[in-house]
Amino acid sequence: MGGDKAPSEIVAGARQAMDEGLSVVLVGRPDAIGDVGDIRVVEATEVIAMDDEPGKAVRTKKDSSLVRTMELVRDGKACAAFSAGNTGAGMASALLRLGRLEGVARPAIATPIPVPGATPTLLLDAGANAECSAEWLVQFAQMGAAFSRVRFGIDNPRVGLLSIGEEETKGSPLVKDTHKLLKLTTGINFIGNVEGRDILTDDVDVVVTDGFTGNVALKTLEGAMKFLIGKVFEAIMTDDDTKAAGNVLLPALAPTADALDPDSTGGAALVGLKGLALIGHGSSSAKAVVNAVRIAHELAAAKVVDALAASVAPR
Amino acid sequence: MPAETHVERTPFSRDEVIALIRDQLGEILEIDPDSVELTSAFVDDLGADPMALFEFVEALEGELGERSVGFHIDDEDMQELTTVGDAVDYVMAKLRPASSGGPG
Repeated sequence: MGGDKAPSEIVAGARQAMDEGLSVVLVGRPDAIGDVGDIRVVEATEVIAMDDEPGKAVRTKKDSSLVRTMELVRDGKACAAFSAGNTGAGMASALLRLGRLEGVARPAIATPIPVPGATPTLLLDAGANAECSAEWLVQFAQMGAAFSRVRFGIDNPRVGLLSIGEEETKGSPLVKDTHKLLKLTTGINFIGNVEGRDILTDDVDVVVTDGFTGNVALKTLEGAMKFLIGKVFEAIMTDDDTKAAGNVLLPALAPTADALDPDSTGGAALVGLKGLALIGHGSSSAKAVVNAVRIAHELAAAKVVDALAASVAPR
Repeated sequence: MPAETHVERTPFSRDEVIALIRDQLGEILEIDPDSVELTSAFVDDLGADPMALFEFVEALEGELGERSVGFHIDDEDMQELTTVGDAVDYVMAKLRPASSGGPG
């Protein structure tokens, strides 16, 4: 029951999901959640704050909604977890309660980046592991491809390695080492290095990078989008002439704006774990919650965790 | 016969604790357990990041807690454990019956 807009938007999203016929369990303090009718509530008395240190918070706040939610998934009482709370604690609680899939060195955050007119580009790692080895990035590539197949129905996802140039001689030592390994890795469609500007195109399906770079890329994209959309609206509101033009343009721009809305993506997935967990923006709205619940049910039905496990199994 | 409400502590030998710690580190860090020395530093030698250390501590609590009820590693103590040998000494002291003066 975390997030900047909890509990009101979380509960509203849960209600909408229930109305669509999707089962939802809310976890948190019943007095804070309030009367939610036929939605089942599992009590958790503690709260992990947005600024709590993730690992320590998970170990000391064992009756927090985040920890209890992961335990429901671990114990088979829920098919997936979703949280809009502290991202680091979401990863820590998922790791410590669900455990890593066999052979997975480190789980990663896989974030779908909306691409208007095309399937989203999956960016991983978007922030779980600031420092990575080349071997970890190869596993991210394998899991990203498997996730992309299940989530977006792409038969042979194109996997790119984020760098500062397409040439394999460019990039940090980590990027160069990873490039060499990815070229030798079977079972994935590695298309070589890609650049930041490629993320929002239909030229690549999965972009692999370390968690530090991935998080910087993600936040830069989000900031740029917000700035650009703000400037467009500011320009439209300049005077009567631009407002009149806006009346014509806005309906044409609306689908793109909706596609770029992070609340439309259903949250980021934590991949590499023995259970399904999704995390949303801290500012997740009811729309984000209902989308996440819908996608969680789809991914669970499609047995995405099995697909991820198979992707890193020895060949 | 009354229901069992208390499980007697089963003492672990030092070798058992070392083997357990090596196995857990091997599994969590994806390294050969035999490469783990008592002098190995978690961060500098084994490359453990903070999350891996939390995994390690939780795993130890789970394994040791099965035979030693209530076995717990304090987060403050955890920060003091730099090497594998530190962890072995800490666990052995924790497992020692209270009468013989173990910490915490």
